[in-house]
Amino acid sequence: MITLENITKTYHLADIEVPILRGIDLHIEASEYVSIMGASGSGKSTLMNIIGCLDRPTAGEYYLEGRELTTLDKNELAYIRNQQIGFVFQQFNLLPRATALENVMLPMVYAGIPKTERRIRAEAALTHVGLSDRMTNRPSQLSGGQQQRVAIARALVNQPAILLADEPTGALDTQTSQDVMNLFHQLNEQQITVVIITHETEVAEQTKRRIRIQDGQIIA
Amino acid sequence: MVSIAHNSASTPLSSQGISRLEIASMALDALWSNKLRSSLTMLGVIIGIGSVISLTSIGEGIQKSTEDSIRGLGTDVLQVMAGSAESGGISQGQGSVTTLTWEDAQAIEEQAPSATVVSAYLQQQAQIVYGENNTSTTVYGTDLAHPEARNTFPESGRFFNDEELAIASSVAVIAPTVQKNLFPNQANPIGENIRIQGEIYKIIGIMEVKGSQGPQDRDDAVYIPLTSMSARIIGNNSLMGVAVNGIYIKGEDESQLDTIRFQVENILRLRHGIISPEEDDFRITNQADILETLTTILGLLTTLIVAIAAISLVVGGIGIANIMLVSVVERTREIGIRKALGATERDVLSQFLTESIVISVIGGGIGIVLGVGVTFISATAFGFPFILSTTAIGAGVGLSTSVGLIAGVIPARNAAQLDPIVALRSD
Repeated sequence: MITLENITKTYHLADIEVPILRGIDLHIEASEYVSIMGASGSGKSTLMNIIGCLDRPTAGEYYLEGRELTTLDKNELAYIRNQQIGFVFQQFNLLPRATALENVMLPMVYAGIPKTERRIRAEAALTHVGLSDRMTNRPSQLSGGQQQRVAIARALVNQPAILLADEPTGALDTQTSQDVMNLFHQLNEQQITVVIITHETEVAEQTKRRIRIQDGQIIA
Repeated sequence: MVSIAHNSASTPLSSQGISRLEIASMALDALWSNKLRSSLTMLGVIIGIGSVISLTSIGEGIQKSTEDSIRGLGTDVLQVMAGSAESGGISQGQGSVTTLTWEDAQAIEEQAPSATVVSAYLQQQAQIVYGENNTSTTVYGTDLAHPEARNTFPESGRFFNDEELAIASSVAVIAPTVQKNLFPNQANPIGENIRIQGEIYKIIGIMEVKGSQGPQDRDDAVYIPLTSMSARIIGNNSLMGVAVNGIYIKGEDESQLDTIRFQVENILRLRHGIISPEEDDFRITNQADILETLTTILGLLTTLIVAIAAISLVVGGIGIANIMLVSVVERTREIGIRKALGATERDVLSQFLTESIVISVIGGGIGIVLGVGVTFISATAFGFPFILSTTAIGAGVGLSTSVGLIAGVIPARNAAQLDPIVALRSD
């Protein structure tokens, strides 16, 4: 499913080379429920950006569903993000002016899916995360937990290979965090691959496999 | 329900992507959500396109009306004017020197085979009085051929005749404006006596309405026999006979004018004893020449004014570019989100470019309506023909689209090239 082979990422700041990732080897199977843990500065965000095709590694190979991605151009990476990756962010990152339904339809807009089908699928996805009665609300009219559910519905709506969540509970209170974690658990039971990047042990403990990263290397 | 897609490695790595219609509706949404800003930005284009359209159309209208009036004077007429003889290097202007005489006119009539109508005239601004009323108008002393030469005939009464011309009779034919000014309450003033510079003249006819043509109101005139004018009003007879200001000459048709010009030049040079390279003491013009000159001048003026108006359009474009740049910065996060969800650079580029074009095209549309309205009102108020210049409207549509396009290029490129990681991190 996901295979990273000796992935390195080095930033060039003036004359200094700053290594962020130093040889990551990682394999995640379909339907796994994985957390990537690490302190801030450990390189976990960079790793997530690479897995999410928002960034490219300096060296190494990245296979997603058997396709090597490091050679793809910007447009192809955009297509992979659209089709294969479902992002869930700490700050939800919904479009404030759009309704929940419109937000969920957005990835399908870029996929070129016709309007009627977009609507049907977005409604189904929102229903799936328990928001069938909040479709026409704007993000400002929703609670943090509800906004994160909209974001999850949006991440799922193009049926991606993986659900990639970056500190998904970071902006939520304990109870809402637990609701969101329960949702991830549920989704994983429906065979969806879930990868959560977090620095919270309580969050990591709820996943089935924990990967620890420190100083740009996997330590466990 | 939600299942994992199994995209095989062989599928092409692009979708059909987003439709133009979709992008246009996204742009409208974005503009609608910021109505005040969008409308203020549009204002620049509205004013720019509005003024380009109205000034072009007004220019065309005035040009048309000027052309019509000059054509109304007759492009089939040659006018010989007492020459602009130079006196000590100072040109004294046409008609200022009395080198042209009635005898010249008679000679042309006899000797120029192509000239069918020849009419000499004297003219002077004079005060006309009837009872309590008085008016200042142009008095023309003419011969009998004048109505035909100038294509203006009596509406009622008659023009003076051969005998009246021969004995310098005190008769006058007045044109409608003079009638209105002197006889506001009298339908038929024929038979009344008026005073022209103190001399009494009897009205024997009223000319037809010719209308205002350019700066000259052809209906503001009084016609008296050339002999009367020469003897009693101007009285500066040259040694050669009765001096005249000008001679009108007509041929069979317009195509004869060049021939007539040649013949008249030769006759007058001979009569005035002018041997080349000596300069002529007369000038021959025709309305077609004047028309051409005026059209050129008016065209140039219109172009100049429209060019100035176009500057406001440029300013409007800069306004759009400015607002789009701000908008891109404000919406950095939105751009990041869109990119993370699969928007390509091209998608983002078209989104912002479309916004800019939509502002400009809507503004342009309003500007066109406004410009046409202003043109219509001015045409009605100032009495020139209302011409809907299709060129101007076409240019308006084209200009507004290109203003939007040009203004949007840099902001849209900035947006498209944003790094999604950086964009997502921004507040």
